[in-house]
Amino acid sequence: MNNLFLVVDATIKGSFSKLTRHRMPGALPFGAKYRLIDFTLSNCKNSQITNVAIFPYGNYRSLADHIGSGDRWDLNRRKDGIFILPPKNLNLTIDDSISFQRMYEHIEYFLRSNQEYVIVSPANIVWNVDYQVFLHSHLVNNADITEVLSGEHKRLKTYILSKKLLLEYVTHYDSIQFRNLSDVFDYAPKLIRNPYVFENACFYIDSPYDLFTANMQLLLPEVRAQLFYKGRSILSKETMSAASRYGENSSTKNSIIASGAIIEGSVENSVIGRKVVVKHGAKIRNSVIMNQCIIESDAVVEYAILDKETIVKNGSIVSGDYQHLFVSEKKQTVVSNEELHVLQITAECWPFIKTGGLADVVGSLAENLVTQGIVSCVIMPLYSKIKEKYSLLMELKAEQVIAYGNELYKAALFSYTDKGTTYNFIESYDFFDREKVYGYPDDGDRFAFFSKAAVQFLDAFEVVPDIIHIHDWHTGLIPSILKESKRYHSIITLMTIHNIEYQGVQDASILTKLGLAEPISPRPSINFMEIGLSNATTISTVSETYREELRYEYYSKNLVDVINRRDRDFYGILNGLSDEFDPKSDLIIHQKYNLINVFEAKKLNKFDMQQRLNIEVGEQYFVVGMVSRIVEQKGFDILIQAMDEFLQNPNTEFVLLGTGEERYLEKLRLLAEKYPRRVSMNLVYDATEPNYIYAGADVFLMPSRYEPCGIGQMIALKYGTVPIVRQTGGLNDTVDHFDFMTKRGNGFKFYNYDFKDLLFQIRNACQLFNEHPHEWKQLIINAMNSRFSLEQSTKSYIELYSSMVSKSLKQ
Amino acid sequence: MKKTIVSMILVGGKGSRLKEITKDTAKPAVSFGAKYRLIDFTLSNLTNSNIDVVGVVTQYEPYDLMSYIGSGASWDLDVVDGGIHFLTPYAKNGDVLWQQGTAHAIRQYFNFVKEYQSNYVLILSGDQIYKMDYQKMLEHHLNHNADITIACTNVEKEEASRFGIVTIDESNRVKTFEEKPSKPKSTLASMGLYLFNTNVLEKLLIFDKSDEIIDFGKNILPKSIADGDIVSAYTFHGYWKDVGTIESLYQANMDLVENPDFLTLNTSRNLPIYSKSLNLPPHIVLNHGDIKQSIIADGCLIDGKVNHSVVGYECIMKRGSKIDHSVIMPNTIINENVQLRNVIVNKGLEIPKNYKLISDEIVLLDSTNIRKIGEIHE
Repeated sequence: MNNLFLVVDATIKGSFSKLTRHRMPGALPFGAKYRLIDFTLSNCKNSQITNVAIFPYGNYRSLADHIGSGDRWDLNRRKDGIFILPPKNLNLTIDDSISFQRMYEHIEYFLRSNQEYVIVSPANIVWNVDYQVFLHSHLVNNADITEVLSGEHKRLKTYILSKKLLLEYVTHYDSIQFRNLSDVFDYAPKLIRNPYVFENACFYIDSPYDLFTANMQLLLPEVRAQLFYKGRSILSKETMSAASRYGENSSTKNSIIASGAIIEGSVENSVIGRKVVVKHGAKIRNSVIMNQCIIESDAVVEYAILDKETIVKNGSIVSGDYQHLFVSEKKQTVVSNEELHVLQITAECWPFIKTGGLADVVGSLAENLVTQGIVSCVIMPLYSKIKEKYSLLMELKAEQVIAYGNELYKAALFSYTDKGTTYNFIESYDFFDREKVYGYPDDGDRFAFFSKAAVQFLDAFEVVPDIIHIHDWHTGLIPSILKESKRYHSIITLMTIHNIEYQGVQDASILTKLGLAEPISPRPSINFMEIGLSNATTISTVSETYREELRYEYYSKNLVDVINRRDRDFYGILNGLSDEFDPKSDLIIHQKYNLINVFEAKKLNKFDMQQRLNIEVGEQYFVVGMVSRIVEQKGFDILIQAMDEFLQNPNTEFVLLGTGEERYLEKLRLLAEKYPRRVSMNLVYDATEPNYIYAGADVFLMPSRYEPCGIGQMIALKYGTVPIVRQTGGLNDTVDHFDFMTKRGNGFKFYNYDFKDLLFQIRNACQLFNEHPHEWKQLIINAMNSRFSLEQSTKSYIELYSSMVSKSLKQ
Repeated sequence: MKKTIVSMILVGGKGSRLKEITKDTAKPAVSFGAKYRLIDFTLSNLTNSNIDVVGVVTQYEPYDLMSYIGSGASWDLDVVDGGIHFLTPYAKNGDVLWQQGTAHAIRQYFNFVKEYQSNYVLILSGDQIYKMDYQKMLEHHLNHNADITIACTNVEKEEASRFGIVTIDESNRVKTFEEKPSKPKSTLASMGLYLFNTNVLEKLLIFDKSDEIIDFGKNILPKSIADGDIVSAYTFHGYWKDVGTIESLYQANMDLVENPDFLTLNTSRNLPIYSKSLNLPPHIVLNHGDIKQSIIADGCLIDGKVNHSVVGYECIMKRGSKIDHSVIMPNTIINENVQLRNVIVNKGLEIPKNYKLISDEIVLLDSTNIRKIGEIHE
């Protein structure tokens, strides 16, 4: 009997980075000739399901193209069939599974479907399954909701319930607390829950690593036997290619090879897609090579995922390792890692000067590039603070007269080499010999002059850099200046957005002063960041999710058009955390610790913090910590109300360190008065010593409205302090929601910028803390095991640099 | 619906020289090049030439071929106005209209041509391996103001007497046409591929209703030349193979093995040869697999040595086996320690353990002779 219809949840974005730039996870190639969604759709056919709806997000062209009319899976029907239901509200940002709100947009589909039960399942599971078996279990157990788990008890985000019950949630999506079926399964009261464990081979593909391991598992006969068998075959779109051709000197062992491949080199333990060419002398080991890649002669590819149409040039070596796979982008050309010269031009760089996170990123990137074999340089202004401290170490490299406006200015270039990186400083009495870094009325002129001088001083470099990497608005004019330059117009540029709120809106006369052409319709003001984003070769930001969010006006505001125009050249690379943050070597905290003594040490650190801040001392208090600038962005609009309610629970405490806007400070002081001895407000910015809070609090709060990357949550994780964050930007990319059933996850996340949702998750955490000490300990261990290394972030930048260079060679 | 051109593919013949290979199937459905059937080439040429009305004139063992072609969707020939039509023998007023000769079959279905009111009729055969743009042939036809155009290709002198041989003048006009002459006057052979003006074809097909066999090569074309119709020869220069014998089938497969750019099968983006997708998983090479200069299709599991050979889809080849200069048709199982050389293995055969057949000339191995030739060695 056919009483089941299927909702394919293709809204899951996963963390694939490059692989999903041009497609959704469901459309990812898998197993040499399939796409992930083939498994779900074939399962439909094999389960006699004829009514299927796919809810995609974003770029679903590739998926729609693959599915076509659905005839491949017998879904091209007169009655029912397959429906692709795209988002209507384009301002809904990515979620981790399909929301009731998203379903409500297509409520007509649900009302019209006349099957009694519905299965909701993601498009990125590799399995061969009869869905009717799930329904049977659901009915036999008289369940309200059934969730399917893999043999390893991973959650598969696959649910069975009656259409009637689903419609209750969908139609009331705006008044209930649950956003999706996971929430319902985890939190809804009075439901009969039925977890069903699927014992056969099953892979939930959520990252390049998952994709790689699942492909490698296909090399095992027992796994293949559970996925591919007669009578329940996995169907894919019909495409055409000849049979594969092997050359005279080819060698192939233990590999899967799709049709149309030409193998002249050697292939071992790999999965090779359609029409891949492996030329003479090329070696491929332990890799996943997607359709139409070309591996040229004598190239070596190891532990890599090469996306479609990647070309690995003659003799190039592409090698990752099991933990850090090499992943190429679609149509990338990979050339051998010849020595790459990268010059960063920036307004600030740690350790010389720092006003915010930008300096840390630039400084640590410069330092880490060297360890990866890149020639790394930096140019920055010589502020008086730097001069005082470093002038003895620097040597004069060049002097120039720079024309700016109608004036000529004298400038000098000093340089200082440390740990392989050459730091260059531009001295100008007129512009940089001042007390502060920013905050002068002529900031526009200062950084325009700096940009021009930096390009002019390239004359003093022995080797012209391959790439100039610029940061934020201050250096936004550099790509335009380079384009006008005779000598340097071919240098390619990467512009990184650290915070899009600061854009450098300045007087339009600056362009004239720089000798740059006036825009066609002269406006009274120009926007440094906008000009930079338009003219840089490639642009990036500091997390994958923030990159995604910037496509929406809510986040990118006035720059939404330019961001969307540059979407194809826009990348997200997560910042790393310096090794300096480590509780096992932290001298400031009361008791150093690592995974072995964490539970004992955190208790002592908690007592120490409570005493220091003069609040009630005791293990039983659930301490919420926060270190933050107190501004709107950081979520204080929802925070104050949420904490006010939460603190009514007498066993809770709140510790805050930071300073900022008076309108919040006042309310925070009132909060402290209302709950004496349980709230500690330290409303001064004491950035040097927040560590005792990271070490002493139980949870760390970051309910930001937006957060490009964020560092606090990474430090908190390292210190085993559980983060509670809003699902935005870098917070989304670093924190995984703790799942009670599987004991996976390293923190708590909420989606809506709403005090109720925040409060719900704080209470959720508090409940786990009080009632499930064992799970709480597991959560702390998960947190401390999270890794966000500078090395990984640096490698990602290098991959991006290399692909930029190879792209520019192609043109 | 009016169409400029309709095509009719003649697939009737039994192809008895292919022996057991065509026991249960028409010749155009014979497997070639690991994953193709012979008919794929003609159907792909049609779709690549934008000709979408195709009559498939079948007679002998039509089932396999018809189910293979299906709606024609694999070749994009499932169009609303036109597409694939199967033209099978039928009974009329009590007489069974069994087709007698190639032209006879066309006359029987002349209504099909009329339905599309086409100006030109393209007559093709379904058992040849080549890649051709029929629109270029039509251009030639129009440029030469021809009534009939015959596609021709140069063949080896020794082989010429196997074909219809034409002689032409300097303007490509055909002077003589002789079917399988004992003393060929030239090496320019008809490919059995003709383009007719519809009215000329209609005129030529009026002949006495008799039991006589009516053939294009033997009857129609010589008659037309004698009538003074303008018959033009279009010389085709690419690869072309008429697969009529075990040897030519083997040779065509070896041509594919030896020429990496054979009909640009692996490299062309614009003119692909389509075949029906069987939804097979990719092939797998296991730890003892060793493949040199060979063609392997989907669904195979290879754990032996393959050299200079073609292995069709869904073949299983177990450890210790060696095949050399051979053609393995689809769905074959080769058990442990089998050795083959210069063998065509017929579809679906299971070769027992330790079987050995090392031959100097090309042999067809099938269920009728597996016990007679070859041996089980220890």
